[in-house]
Amino acid sequence: MSVDKVKLPADADAGKGGLIGTLKAMPKRVYHSVFRFRPLPKTHMERSQAVAANFFLHIHSAKTTERALKFRTTLGLGLISLYLFIILVVSGVFLMFYYVPSPDAAYDRMLDLRGAVFFGTFLRNLHRWSAHAMVAVVFAHMVRVFLTGAHKAPREFNWVVGTALALMTLLLSFTGYLLPWDQLAYWAIVVGTAIAGYAPVIGEDLRFILLGDYTVGGEALLRFYVLHVVVLPTVLTLGIGLHFWRIRKDGGLARPDTDEE
Amino acid sequence: MSDEFDRPEHDRFPSGSSGKTYGLMCTVDADAPAVEAKPEKSVQSWPAAFIRELLLFIVVVLVLSLIALYFDAPLEEPANALHPPNPAKAPWYFLGLQEMVGYDAFWGGIGIPGILAGLAMLAPYLERKKGGEGVWFHSSRILPNLIFITLFVTLGVLTVIGTLFRGQNWAFIVPW
Amino acid sequence: MGDHELNPERAKKTEERSRRNFIAIITAVVFGVTAAAMGLFNLIFMRPRVTYGSPAKVRVGRPDSYSPGSQLELPENRIVVRRQGDKFAAISTVCTHLGCTVNASDIGFACPCHGSVYDVRGDVMGGPAPKSLSWFRVSLAPNGELEVDKNQVVDPDTYLEVKV
Repeated sequence: MSVDKVKLPADADAGKGGLIGTLKAMPKRVYHSVFRFRPLPKTHMERSQAVAANFFLHIHSAKTTERALKFRTTLGLGLISLYLFIILVVSGVFLMFYYVPSPDAAYDRMLDLRGAVFFGTFLRNLHRWSAHAMVAVVFAHMVRVFLTGAHKAPREFNWVVGTALALMTLLLSFTGYLLPWDQLAYWAIVVGTAIAGYAPVIGEDLRFILLGDYTVGGEALLRFYVLHVVVLPTVLTLGIGLHFWRIRKDGGLARPDTDEE
Repeated sequence: MSDEFDRPEHDRFPSGSSGKTYGLMCTVDADAPAVEAKPEKSVQSWPAAFIRELLLFIVVVLVLSLIALYFDAPLEEPANALHPPNPAKAPWYFLGLQEMVGYDAFWGGIGIPGILAGLAMLAPYLERKKGGEGVWFHSSRILPNLIFITLFVTLGVLTVIGTLFRGQNWAFIVPW
Repeated sequence: MGDHELNPERAKKTEERSRRNFIAIITAVVFGVTAAAMGLFNLIFMRPRVTYGSPAKVRVGRPDSYSPGSQLELPENRIVVRRQGDKFAAISTVCTHLGCTVNASDIGFACPCHGSVYDVRGDVMGGPAPKSLSWFRVSLAPNGELEVDKNQVVDPDTYLEVKV
């Protein structure tokens, strides 16, 4: 390729020009220490490198089939789930700065979000609607994958991972539901955990461990908070990483062997 | 900016010391070599895929922001363990379960949901026949699709009933 | 097997391999047992020994504070205390359906959440409730107060007789 023939600024250049030279070379050196490709890669070679050399992009292969890019192939549902999760993490972290997981304080903090926090209402709205949307979109994604037969060999395990992610999304939403500590939240959790209590043998124990008590109270609020902000998001993030990695390892998006369409 | 990038590959990614003997040597502007069947039409991920992904992200953020601006999240009175509301409802995605619990406590709350979750997890191992990968409603997969849609729609209908059609004392109501 | 006798070199190698297998299996077993034990410990850790919120044993006042033939709702303890003659009993007001608090009346109990109805004994008369309301053991505390233990469910119509 042509790039091979261009004369380069060899490493021998390093140290030339003294302090001024060092400072002058610094912006470029810093850029190159971070990125291995120019801001807008031009050749196919560079574009491929741009994908391979970037931590966030390299979950993609350098090339994508035109089929995978068509909206009707996936309806974008998996990506939308990811984006909603990102919105939820960001808005959730902001909300954490103003939230106290205690029965005495939690509800007042909700009121404070309305009046005392800049953009507080917006953040809470965004977090709540994104959470509802994520549950819906994740299940829509599941339907899409099944109806396109994308769960079949060799992608079986990734389907199992996806199912676990869907259940975890439900748990995340459920644990977050209690945090405002209003009537809606409280009784939804009373009713929801009562359903868990129906499980044979382990049901009552499960409920007790989940709530940290026989009834929904301060312990339950603290437990749900820790699960909601630390445990479940961490596990979900790892699971998403695994899910994406498997897509590539299993050969990209499912596609027919022959051109059947 | 250009000079640094115009250095040859092996110089920018020194490999000798690490003993790495492989690497991306070059890419060709052509169809991918056919491994199994036919050549696939593919394009560079950069920018074709990334532009679309970024656009979708912007759309998602915009839509959610608009919803968040115009619709307030519900906030009722402070929690009071002594005064249950009538009816008390679980979050909407559990209302299908709650509806089923109304018919039969064990089967509605644990039995059927457990079986459904198990079926969902095992779906790709139960459906072993090859074919129809990546195609919507493929003709060879009518039965699995039908079962899946039936179960999903049933759960959806129960959820809608639990959400909209259940009023005081869990009695059937018409929301309009 | 006969191979080994003929070929001591190979026998040695096989022995070596089986020793390695043995070590690998032992390691796996030790690792598995340790992991299982840690999982169990974590689960036990998550199970509190005492609860902060609602004590299981509650004292509900002296017997003579109840008049014969009456019953008193104690909403914060989610029970009703009933007195018939000199006999006392405590009935849970937690709906067996989905955990709402039922309201007590003269004819029984009614759940405001999902419409379960119970009779005076706590048996299900209608609605989605799967089983009857629990009766709890009532005893006399040393200080002369009635004590209800919500961890001990007793048969319906189990009364504590107290000389008032």
